[in-house]
Amino acid sequence: MKYAFLIFETIRHNLIRTILTGLGTMVMVLVVTLVFTVLSALDRATTEKQKNLKAIVTEKWQIPSMMPYSYASALSQGGAAADDPDAARPEDAMSWGFFVGSTEENPAKRSFENLFFAFIMEPEKARTMLDEVDSLTDDEAQPLLAAIKRMKDVPNGVIVGQERLDKMKKKVGDRITVFGRNYRDMNLELEIVGTFPREPARYADSSVISRDYFNRQLDAYQNSHQNKPHPMAEKTLGLVWLRLKDRKTFSKVSEQILTSPSFTSPPVKIETSSTGIGGFLEAWRDIIWGMRWLMAPACLLTLSLVISNAISISVRERQLEFAVMKVMGFRPSQILILVLAEALLIGTISGFLSAALTYVAINGMGGLPFRIAFFPKFAVPLQAFWWGPAMGAITALAGSFIPAWRARTVKVSDVFARVT
Amino acid sequence: MSKSEICVDVQNVHKSFRRGIEVVDVLNGLNLQVHEKEFVSLMGPSGSGKTTLLNLIAGLDQPTTGSVYVRGDQISAMTESQLASWRTRTIGFVFQFYNLLPVLTAYRNVELPLLLLPLSASQRKQQVQTALDIVGLSDRLHHRPGQLSGGQQQRVGIARAIVTDPALIVADEPTGALDSKSADEILDLLGELRKSLNKTIIIVTHDPRAAARADREVHLDKGQLVATH
Repeated sequence: MKYAFLIFETIRHNLIRTILTGLGTMVMVLVVTLVFTVLSALDRATTEKQKNLKAIVTEKWQIPSMMPYSYASALSQGGAAADDPDAARPEDAMSWGFFVGSTEENPAKRSFENLFFAFIMEPEKARTMLDEVDSLTDDEAQPLLAAIKRMKDVPNGVIVGQERLDKMKKKVGDRITVFGRNYRDMNLELEIVGTFPREPARYADSSVISRDYFNRQLDAYQNSHQNKPHPMAEKTLGLVWLRLKDRKTFSKVSEQILTSPSFTSPPVKIETSSTGIGGFLEAWRDIIWGMRWLMAPACLLTLSLVISNAISISVRERQLEFAVMKVMGFRPSQILILVLAEALLIGTISGFLSAALTYVAINGMGGLPFRIAFFPKFAVPLQAFWWGPAMGAITALAGSFIPAWRARTVKVSDVFARVT
Repeated sequence: MSKSEICVDVQNVHKSFRRGIEVVDVLNGLNLQVHEKEFVSLMGPSGSGKTTLLNLIAGLDQPTTGSVYVRGDQISAMTESQLASWRTRTIGFVFQFYNLLPVLTAYRNVELPLLLLPLSASQRKQQVQTALDIVGLSDRLHHRPGQLSGGQQQRVGIARAIVTDPALIVADEPTGALDSKSADEILDLLGELRKSLNKTIIIVTHDPRAAARADREVHLDKGQLVATH
């Protein structure tokens, strides 16, 4: 610690070098933090859990899955017969349908800004089953809880993510008319009853409408079309999520569903949500691979080179200083450590600052808008607060090692080489 | 004079450097003894080997052949790490161009060698203040080298050299970059160090006036000792 002032003073008085190295580090750490933000979210979503796992039931042979809604009730029981006491049952379940429409009636004027995308579901399941929402505290989930409660009084209520509200220039309490695209000729009169919490950011662009309300709209369609059901009426169930205690329960429920005669037309498949998401992400496999194995390492390598270059210049300029220190009795290893410590300090502090600023700025904007699969945005995780300093520190150490070694091997008699 | 009173004993030292394919002999079988508390000046034309000899005595370089003893320690047989530790305790080095660390204050520059010794912060503070008192710069503790005159910087350099209380002070042209008034002050200071602190002092100089301040002038030419008086 008694050498700390020497390190601090050198850093302070080599301001241009310190600032340039720090800025270079911050830019690279910013890029890698963003890459890690996306990758870590995808990794979390595709990591197989052993307990409290989610299973996804979908149509076996068709993408997108479009099952009859009559499957929903039995699938929510894990395919268990009502009178079978030994059957495995899910702890919770949720059925999904998807309504895509627009707030713009004129098809020619439809755009991303007036797009409307909603989950057709039991509203209360948004709290207990949606990824990342299910782990919020009640305080954190308060806006959603209030909206779910309100939907009980407002059957045509809709919960809309804040970003989508902003794009539609609407607010809670407003009414909207949505013109169906996947459900042609189905127009919904909705009242915005609330919004999702700001975190997790992935639902900022999504909406929730009630399954019961939607089914009544399908009935109304049939009544108004000479008792002819909507062409999609028997295909409204996209998927069913089941919350299962553990992998053993998953195996048992899988067996129940796959052997049940109730789910044969169309046939269904069941997989863990991580496997399902992993399969869904296959389409982005090359991009994800490139981000993980090309982009992130290239940034870290560039960062090491930036630091190496800056420290090399500094070491070359300070050869006399190191020689003088050796004359005073500093050992080569102490000089090596001093140079490494300088780089380490710059790298660590810059890395931390970069990660902290990234965290505040990106999450302040509602997340990183990097649309991949069904993840519209990625929030920078808290782990960024150690990623940043760690990246800065490791690359600083790697980048400064060769220049530090050169400083260590400065030969005093060569520096003062004068034969008089 | 008894063997125990010898501070520096250079025995049949040869030193050669390689420049490309050419081997340059700088010191040729040189012998020199410097006694405790003696003030010796090394003089000679450029290329005579004065600084090389000083570097060997200070343990900054190793002879090609021969031995160098300082206060009984054969420094020519020490490893780099042993020499580093030995230099901290035994040698104070004064440079022609002061070579203070520009980013540090006078106080911190003087404190630097003390960091290598097992001293508490308060012990270090006391020794730094004593050293700066001796050189008359106790009112310039927090000035950086750029804020000091050449003479003041050299005083800080001398304070840094004596702060660990070494037995031997070596100085390579300590007045070479100073005006005559400042040079006189520095030479007075070196003389005072020898007298009041009993330091052995060896300086390399081209300046006959500086050399005359020493107890003994040693003249080198072509790597050999040619005269001493």
